[in-house]
Amino acid sequence: MVNNIEIQNVSKRYKDFELKNISFNVPQGCIVGLIGENGAGKTTTIKSILNITKSEGTIKILEKDNKENEKAIKEEVGVVLDDSFLSDYLTAKQVSSIMKEFYKNWNENKYINLLKQFNLPTDKLIKDFSSGMKMKLKIATAISHNPKILILDEPTSGLDPVVRNEILDIFRKYIEEDETRSILLSSHITTDLEHISDYIVFIEKGKLIFSLPTNELLENYGIIKCSKDDFATFAKKDYITYQKGKYQYEVLTNNKNNIKNKYNITTIDKPSIEDIMLFYIKGEK
Amino acid sequence: MMIKGLLKKDLYNLSSYKASLIIIILFCGIAIIGTEAINLAPIIICTIIGMISLSTFSYDEISKSNKYILTLPTSRKEIVKEKYILAIGSTILGGIIGFILTVIVINVMNHIRAENVIHLDYESLISTTIGGMWGISLIQAIQIPSIYKWGAEKGRIQMFIMLFIMIAVVLGVGYLLIKASFNINIEMIENFMNKFGIGLFVLLMIIMYYISYKISYKIYKNKEE
Repeated sequence: MVNNIEIQNVSKRYKDFELKNISFNVPQGCIVGLIGENGAGKTTTIKSILNITKSEGTIKILEKDNKENEKAIKEEVGVVLDDSFLSDYLTAKQVSSIMKEFYKNWNENKYINLLKQFNLPTDKLIKDFSSGMKMKLKIATAISHNPKILILDEPTSGLDPVVRNEILDIFRKYIEEDETRSILLSSHITTDLEHISDYIVFIEKGKLIFSLPTNELLENYGIIKCSKDDFATFAKKDYITYQKGKYQYEVLTNNKNNIKNKYNITTIDKPSIEDIMLFYIKGEK
Repeated sequence: MMIKGLLKKDLYNLSSYKASLIIIILFCGIAIIGTEAINLAPIIICTIIGMISLSTFSYDEISKSNKYILTLPTSRKEIVKEKYILAIGSTILGGIIGFILTVIVINVMNHIRAENVIHLDYESLISTTIGGMWGISLIQAIQIPSIYKWGAEKGRIQMFIMLFIMIAVVLGVGYLLIKASFNINIEMIENFMNKFGIGLFVLLMIIMYYISYKISYKIYKNKEE
């Protein structure tokens, strides 16, 4: 499998936070969801990939080093940042006029069609757009030069479910149009990622917890609800974390078939990605 | 190409100043008529257009656009370079508008009031224009690195502190020279300035911008967005 992004041992140290040896890949034709709490290191990872922040380690984008081939790489990457764009004091029409100076492959017709599709006005100042409209404009801008890779930092945060669904549809179509493309998408709204991502990368307190295919994650992970006595029989290596409830114990495992057979358990609940994330963050070992 | 894109962004942002600029030019025109002073417009217009060009930093700060711009196929060097092109361009534009406005207003006045002709000393007008441009280029050369270091808001405060210190130093040195009864040959200085003044000011402007650009790039190269 060809990887459009390869990240190896990326580290970055701030005064009060450290990103430690993050490694994962973004394969061609795949949507990779980057999850974690606020402040876990998702944005720092994205900033490192885009060389906005200087970090240690190796990052290859389209098989090229991200620092040595920065300009060539950025021609092939479309970016959406939650909190940053060209300027709020521009119109969508002016955005196109600016972007065609940056990208050799800027497709004005595609951009105008996307604006029409998203019902976005061309002559209204961006500062007067709603959050959903702003995000759609950022996405239209990011994909109008036909990039091979889309990198999106929290593209669905603060949006209502209808707009979120529309935006996820755009991402699905973007991948379907060309299977050599990839999307790296960070979000703390894990339900969005459950629907569209092929892989999930979970970062917690600057450390990589796992990088797994979404279906494997949802199929192999399970939550066992049991009594204190039953829990006492579990070997530590058979579960990841547990949470003490009022009346029972809840135990997260990443090998539900094994634990089912070994301890003769009849019912194991299928966890959501949010459940898994919460068990890692809040659970005890 | 990338610099053109950055320039377009800043110029679109500044387009909201169009009306204010027209009012300022009209105001300067009226001021020339009222005071019959030929040295007014170049200094005022240069200063205002030069300062307006620096407000692009505030636009960038409000929209947090620097982080986004770094994701585009451009470089930190080009980003800093563009700000200097805009600053220098605004200074030159201010000087040209001020110069042309003065020439037009004075000539129209002389045409209307043939009995009271104002002598238009082009040499003096050019000197004033260059002087005005030099003044604003000094402010820009100090303020741009300050903004890169401390941000648009704090940078402005730092600039005023620095200007205050500079004025205090100049006045202090002058005071000490007078107190020490140092004999300054004014005539010699005047002759020198008449001969080489404009060239010297232009050269100083180029040096100031160059040093300022180098400092700004060094600051921005290591800045975290």
